[in-house]
Amino acid sequence: MTALSRDAIRTMMAEVLQAQGKAMPVDDGANLEQIGFRSLDFSELALRVEDEIGEELNFDAPELRQIATISDVLDFLEQLQAA
Amino acid sequence: MSDKTEPIGPATVVVVSGGSRGLGLAIVEDILAKGAKVAAFARTVTPELEALAAAHPDRVLAASVDVTDVKAINSFLKETEARLGPIDALVNNAAMGQDSLHVHTSPEQIAKIIETNLTAPLLLARAVLRRIMAKGNRGRIVMVTSVCAQRGYSGLVAYSATKGGLDSAMRTLAREMHGRALVNSVAPGFFASEMSSVLGQTQLDTITRRTPSGRLVEPENIVPVVRTLLFDDTNINGQVITVDGGNSI
Repeated sequence: MTALSRDAIRTMMAEVLQAQGKAMPVDDGANLEQIGFRSLDFSELALRVEDEIGEELNFDAPELRQIATISDVLDFLEQLQAA
Repeated sequence: MSDKTEPIGPATVVVVSGGSRGLGLAIVEDILAKGAKVAAFARTVTPELEALAAAHPDRVLAASVDVTDVKAINSFLKETEARLGPIDALVNNAAMGQDSLHVHTSPEQIAKIIETNLTAPLLLARAVLRRIMAKGNRGRIVMVTSVCAQRGYSGLVAYSATKGGLDSAMRTLAREMHGRALVNSVAPGFFASEMSSVLGQTQLDTITRRTPSGRLVEPENIVPVVRTLLFDDTNINGQVITVDGGNSI
């Protein structure tokens, strides 16, 4: 498996938001609720990452509930790939 | 701007499991008549389904796939998207029947019924939803369950458990897929054709008399309900629609 870089995941996240007419803030500390990035948007992003790396990234819902910022999203997907 | 609270559009590419005969085939024909594309599979492809695929090569994909074969299912879904375009709907119709008292049904047979009627449809719905979501799309899922999930019928213990399980999963999926998918069940009563193969004419007459609509269910009664759930903007979500002539009320 070739893990995706943080920058590549960030670009994909921007694409998910863009498809909904939303903009990706520059600040990675931005709150997900405020930018309208919901849990199913995270699922969509995770599935896009899976497509790229060719491996499933399954996880439990409580882990997802800890995610509040863009930075959290990127951290979590980096950790999932490393696991 | 794509607002996720907008109505989910009508289905354009529909996967139908168990689409080679009976209700499944009738659903396939109806989807075609609505102008959508359809990818149907079953363990055995019947001449009727083959003829449809031959007549509409750009709109119908038919294949012999066992619903419990996860690898074959995933290949079929990939081929569907390559041939017909992105999948946005599923009719989870394939199932096996039962006609044996629970105490006389082998553990192996119970496991087989659960694998075919519950595990396989859940995995198929998972695979289809993953494809829909990965593309940022939205879609519709219809589970074909049974009135057995709501009422007790002798000889159908494991079968009823799987259909009840599927109805429960359907409700949870409808909530979980918030704004991304409409998920519903259609629960037919016993088809006249099925019943006539195991019951005598006197029993059939009695059941028919006790059915408030005065007639037993036919596949043609189910098809319009599936059509509505696939194509219409009704906002029906997370529901079991029972079609049994009122027999279970």
